[in-house]
Amino acid sequence: MKAAALALAMALGLPSAPAMAQDEAPSRAEQFAQLPYFPGYWVSLGQEGTTITGLAPALTDNPNVDINAIMPLRANLAAWNEEGQRRVAEVRAAAGGRKALGWGFPMMMNCATPFQILITPEEVLISNAYNETRHIYTDGRPMPDELDMWPTTWGTSVGHWEGNVLVIETAMVKDPSLFFHGAPPFSEEARYVERIHIDGDRLISEFTVTDPVTLNEPYHATVTYVRDQGFDRMIQVDWDNDRTGNDGEFNTIEATAVGD
Amino acid sequence: MKKFLALALVASLGMAVPSAQAHHSFAMFDRTREVTITGTVRQFQWSNPHAYIQLAVPNPQGGGATEWSLEMGSPMYLYSRGWRPRTLRPGMEVRVRLNPLRNGANGGVVLEVLDMQGNSLGTNQVGAPQ
Repeated sequence: MKAAALALAMALGLPSAPAMAQDEAPSRAEQFAQLPYFPGYWVSLGQEGTTITGLAPALTDNPNVDINAIMPLRANLAAWNEEGQRRVAEVRAAAGGRKALGWGFPMMMNCATPFQILITPEEVLISNAYNETRHIYTDGRPMPDELDMWPTTWGTSVGHWEGNVLVIETAMVKDPSLFFHGAPPFSEEARYVERIHIDGDRLISEFTVTDPVTLNEPYHATVTYVRDQGFDRMIQVDWDNDRTGNDGEFNTIEATAVGD
Repeated sequence: MKKFLALALVASLGMAVPSAQAHHSFAMFDRTREVTITGTVRQFQWSNPHAYIQLAVPNPQGGGATEWSLEMGSPMYLYSRGWRPRTLRPGMEVRVRLNPLRNGANGGVVLEVLDMQGNSLGTNQVGAPQ
């Protein structure tokens, strides 16, 4: 049969069987094998070693610590325009005693809560221990039409691979400060680009945010992630017991609310 | 509040912690004061964004106890430091090192929890003596 097929191919001027195989799309297993692998439970570098207190040594051991170096995605150093400055002032003024709903995007990529990255040929999933998940489609589809999107806490993402670098574009993110008061108050017109690659035992992400509503120029930040000790599986726990309160002067712990 | 506490001021940590590293500002806790209290666990809330120990602390003059709300990190980090939801059970007697709330209310953020034999619970290897 093989000889007959080869003779037919020659007669028709077609490439031989091995050459035809090379032209075929790789199988799904082959596509998987070609993809990078980011296994582990990642936290950003400054959060490493967080104790039962909820603080990392990078903060408690260094009185001169620069919070902007540890949490650059708060975007404190962004080139805020007039509207951006107005929003930042408003959010900070109302932060006392405010409860949060979780981290949301982009803060879930820069907090003490570990996340996991699951890579498949068609999609990358990023999920954290607060039950927050990002779906990043890498099957070649473009960003959906604007009429098919609406603002959400984690936005809409598409991605692609440039060699070993995962490039993610995210749009239609609700003002992040609505979900978490420490997040930057970017507008729903903001576009976020992340370029993520692994470097030894670290994961590096280059962030760029453009926002015509709140920024004078794009905001760039680099976040480095490490695998902290003690995590052996992802355990997702509801965010249902935020007892942050305020007595008019100081934040405080509200009376117990769970199972009382 | 100060009357009924079986507490000891232990050390001055002399550190300022920037706000918003966790989900809320740690400025609500007085990080310059360290206090140790002993009491009975009424409830251990294994919850996000923070776990809480509800601790009944006997009033030194007698006549019942006062309840403290003691904040910890999130369950995922507690798990990674050797803690589990049943590490503390109602009725257990424990000693807690903490930074108190700045406003003087009965609460604080937990630095370390010890059983009555002086053993540190979990593997809180960073930032606390073992």
